[in-house]
Amino acid sequence: MLMFKLALRNILGAGLRTWLNVIVLSFSFVAIIYMQGIYDGMQDQASQAEIQFAYGGGQYWHAAYDPYDPFSLQDSHGKIAPELQDKINDGEATPVLIVQGSMYPNGRLKPVLLKGIDPAQKTVAIPSAVLAKEKDAIPALIGARTARNSGLKIGDYVTIRWRDANGTFDAQEVKIMEIMNTLVQSIDNGQIWMPLEQLRQLSGMPDEATLVILGQETDSPAQVSLGWVHKDMDFLLKDLKQLVKTKTIGASVMYIALLLLAMLAIFDTQVLSLFRRRKEIGTLVSLGMTRVQVIKLFTFEGAMHGILAAGVAALYGIPLFIYSAKAGWKLPQVTEGYGLSIGQTLFPVFGAGLVVGTIFLVMITVTIVSYLPTRRILKLKPTDALRGKMS
Amino acid sequence: MKSLLFLLVPVFAFAQVPSGEEILKKVDENSWAKTRIFTSKMIVQGRRATRTITSKSWVKGDEAAFTEYLAPAREKGIKMLKMEDQLWTYSPQTDRIIRISGHMLRQSVMGSDLSYEDMMEDAEIVKKYDAKVEGSEVVLDCECWVLLLSAKDKDAAYQSRKVWVDKERYIILKEERYAKSGKLLKRTEILSVRRMGGRWVAGEILFRDLLKSGKGTKFIIESVEYNADIPDYIFSKASLRK
Amino acid sequence: MIKFLIKGLLRDRSKSLFPVLTVTAGVTLVVFAICWVGGVQTNMMSASAHFRTGHVKIMTRAYAEQSDLLPVDLALVGTDSLLGHLKASYPGMIWTQRILFAGLLDVPDESGETREQGTVAGIAISVLDPGSPEHKFLEMEKSIVRGRMPQKSYDCLISETFAQKLKVNPGDEVTLIGSTMFGAMSMTNFTVAGTVRFGISALDRGALIADITDVQTALDMDNGASEILGFFTDDIYHREKAVDLAEQFNIKNTDPDGEFSPVMLALEQQEGLAGMLDMVGMMSSVIITIFIVVMSIVLWNAGLMGNIRRYGEIGVRLAMGEAKGHLYRSLLLEAFAIGIFGSLIGTVLGLIVSFYLQYHGIDITSFLKDSTIMLPDVMRARVTSSAYFIGFLPGVCATFLGAAISGIGVYKRQTSQLFKELEV
Repeated sequence: MLMFKLALRNILGAGLRTWLNVIVLSFSFVAIIYMQGIYDGMQDQASQAEIQFAYGGGQYWHAAYDPYDPFSLQDSHGKIAPELQDKINDGEATPVLIVQGSMYPNGRLKPVLLKGIDPAQKTVAIPSAVLAKEKDAIPALIGARTARNSGLKIGDYVTIRWRDANGTFDAQEVKIMEIMNTLVQSIDNGQIWMPLEQLRQLSGMPDEATLVILGQETDSPAQVSLGWVHKDMDFLLKDLKQLVKTKTIGASVMYIALLLLAMLAIFDTQVLSLFRRRKEIGTLVSLGMTRVQVIKLFTFEGAMHGILAAGVAALYGIPLFIYSAKAGWKLPQVTEGYGLSIGQTLFPVFGAGLVVGTIFLVMITVTIVSYLPTRRILKLKPTDALRGKMS
Repeated sequence: MKSLLFLLVPVFAFAQVPSGEEILKKVDENSWAKTRIFTSKMIVQGRRATRTITSKSWVKGDEAAFTEYLAPAREKGIKMLKMEDQLWTYSPQTDRIIRISGHMLRQSVMGSDLSYEDMMEDAEIVKKYDAKVEGSEVVLDCECWVLLLSAKDKDAAYQSRKVWVDKERYIILKEERYAKSGKLLKRTEILSVRRMGGRWVAGEILFRDLLKSGKGTKFIIESVEYNADIPDYIFSKASLRK
Repeated sequence: MIKFLIKGLLRDRSKSLFPVLTVTAGVTLVVFAICWVGGVQTNMMSASAHFRTGHVKIMTRAYAEQSDLLPVDLALVGTDSLLGHLKASYPGMIWTQRILFAGLLDVPDESGETREQGTVAGIAISVLDPGSPEHKFLEMEKSIVRGRMPQKSYDCLISETFAQKLKVNPGDEVTLIGSTMFGAMSMTNFTVAGTVRFGISALDRGALIADITDVQTALDMDNGASEILGFFTDDIYHREKAVDLAEQFNIKNTDPDGEFSPVMLALEQQEGLAGMLDMVGMMSSVIITIFIVVMSIVLWNAGLMGNIRRYGEIGVRLAMGEAKGHLYRSLLLEAFAIGIFGSLIGTVLGLIVSFYLQYHGIDITSFLKDSTIMLPDVMRARVTSSAYFIGFLPGVCATFLGAAISGIGVYKRQTSQLFKELEV
């Protein structure tokens, strides 16, 4: 405790120099936490978006379903396993039926996936409710990218053609009810969302589905009949996690550079302290303090910068974090600005792990850097020190 | 190949006014020949250029057909063999026999408005469709019966079709294919009827995929020979390589 | 006097070495940080640029409208002369043509009949030419799993997963079935030279890479290509330049009525990448600002400490009768010299590190086990023009400011106290 008081008094006595160091360190704290918070926010938001709009709490796929092989779609639909049907009946899951087809905007053929979804579903955030609004035409919902590629607008009619379960051609006009501006490509690109029952009827696949999306809170059924394969979140979000990981690696180089800069300041300060306070060191040793104790004192003084910095960082960092996490970063128009807008604001996420981890990292580094210059005290002769000499 | 072939209908004359079923039967009967050998031209109007593809085909009843492409230079030597419901193609450049199946059957043939599947379709529409006479209309200056055909089985590619049958020559002069919803998908129009091989034959046919914008594909029969002897080896995979 | 001061600086290590080292270290870090941020920006775009968009891309107007369908029938024709024209008109760029096509890959059995078939996404590039820039852009050599790079006509690479699905090995012959530019069916034999793994699920499912001349022959598009990609020679995307280039090109070459007339799009005009660039740019400026501020404070502090360290010396000089103003000015001048000198060395060091990392990069593959998406697996720095001078700003100003503030202490020293202090 004595050492704590002594150290605190010593560094506060240095006035402006200490505060400059503290400010620099606190910047490092805040900047690292803030940047990493943005990356975490990105991952969180992107995965949240995928979870909310596409993956829910995991999916069950028809055994033949392969999203990368559109030609497998012909065979990848079937009656929903009873265990999954129970979940659907309880509103804890929603089935999606996928049928391969083509659309003909302006007389040009474009392959599309027709996806049937229950307009009343609440499992994923796809605005399927708009599909319940139209009675005269088949209502359809598309993403902004599809809209851009096909030149379709809200209220447009477009002809779609598909083949039913027996291979018979069928074609209808659908009315574009809404265009969703989403970052989640897996619900946008080359897809037309339609009411599930209508698609089942049109395709001659009553009660069938290609995949079942579980609600985010839904537990997977203990057992599911053969023919339906569970795809968990690790599988579904794999690509995204990799992407964010690379970005984090790029950012860590910045953190290291920033830390080095702050350490430079601490190191500088420590060297100066040792130089200026040779006599003090000599006195302390003459009075009976061991050299190790003196080293401890000086190291502690250096580390004290970190403690003060954490406090200062908290002073302005916490309000900043709270504000940012609430207000978010308004993203520039990543996708074309029409239709429903989803996920245009990025909210940084400042987890406890991130904050504690950063403080821990900075404290350790500060302590080590504070200790390094003090090692020469070991070689110090008190007599020399008293005379102001230090080799 | 067959759907093209059933348009090469010879002409019989019937005295009485027939039912839809009967008209269709006559059309089928009339189109039937033990064998046919014909050369044809396909004119494909692309966005960039118009191509004319010449081919010669050997057809045995309903079971087998063999086509060899003669021009242009790029397509020369490509052969196709249809046996029952299987289709193979051969190209001299690759010396490969390739089975066309699954997804590829839905691709367009040589860039035309016809898919392999369209060409593979069985000719005997009387077996697959119920016919109803809807009335009379004039097509190509000929009085025609308008027949509405609805598929007997669920697995027909088109649930309904409309055909315009020449009342005198029992030759189909126009055909429309509809989606289950009733939407018109494809139209086939006979632009001229010629007498070849002793029968009346659709000489110039225009196919159009009506969902697409485009000028369609023209099919011209240049010559046709009926009931000639075709050796069996023509309809074998070995002949693809010859 | 400057000469005298410099001598003093050079001869007294505590006067010069330590402050200069501090400034040098600080400036090195800032210069490096700026280059790294620039590099991260470039990294994020380089995968898109290399695989899809180029820094600029030329297509026909009709193709551009439907490019998601890979419509070879709407491809550019006469690309040889167009390429020649581009190379002559824009010598600061690398131009390369590609054909993207869809088709079917057919694997024969012993009798030459179909054994396996799979849909294929084809990329035709200049791969046989050893001087082709595509080797660098697509890093194919690095991605080879089995076999080797294509070495002769009608050699191709296919993705490893696809090869396993089709049970094909390097050396096997396969047939590409595609559709020519005019819609005719095209069948061409290729030899699988090797298999590659791209790390992009969509491509790994069924991709084929072949030489562009072979594919031009196969798809009857002699002298044609789906797209011509343009890259800046430093392989770095320059926003204004690219947009400007596209604009100028389109004014000269695009006929608004001709659906087959060429149109040039800059990277950011494709796939909504402009928003991404804006965002990254904004974040980079924030990061750079933080760095400069932090370093300014560090150096300011170093300046303060420098003069404290020289407390004794200043005392002696005052005691010897040096005027306070003169002393103060000399301190400032020294600080200025230290700032300039340190910034100079720091900038040079920072640039050396950055240049090294620009060319060699940090390989991060070990951090990314089982990566399934296409990512730049080497992180590179990028030396931007601002890196050459921006270090001087904090390096000189902050050091100067530090000395100026602590130097004021000179005026507070009282002559009466000096000798007492100097006793020891």
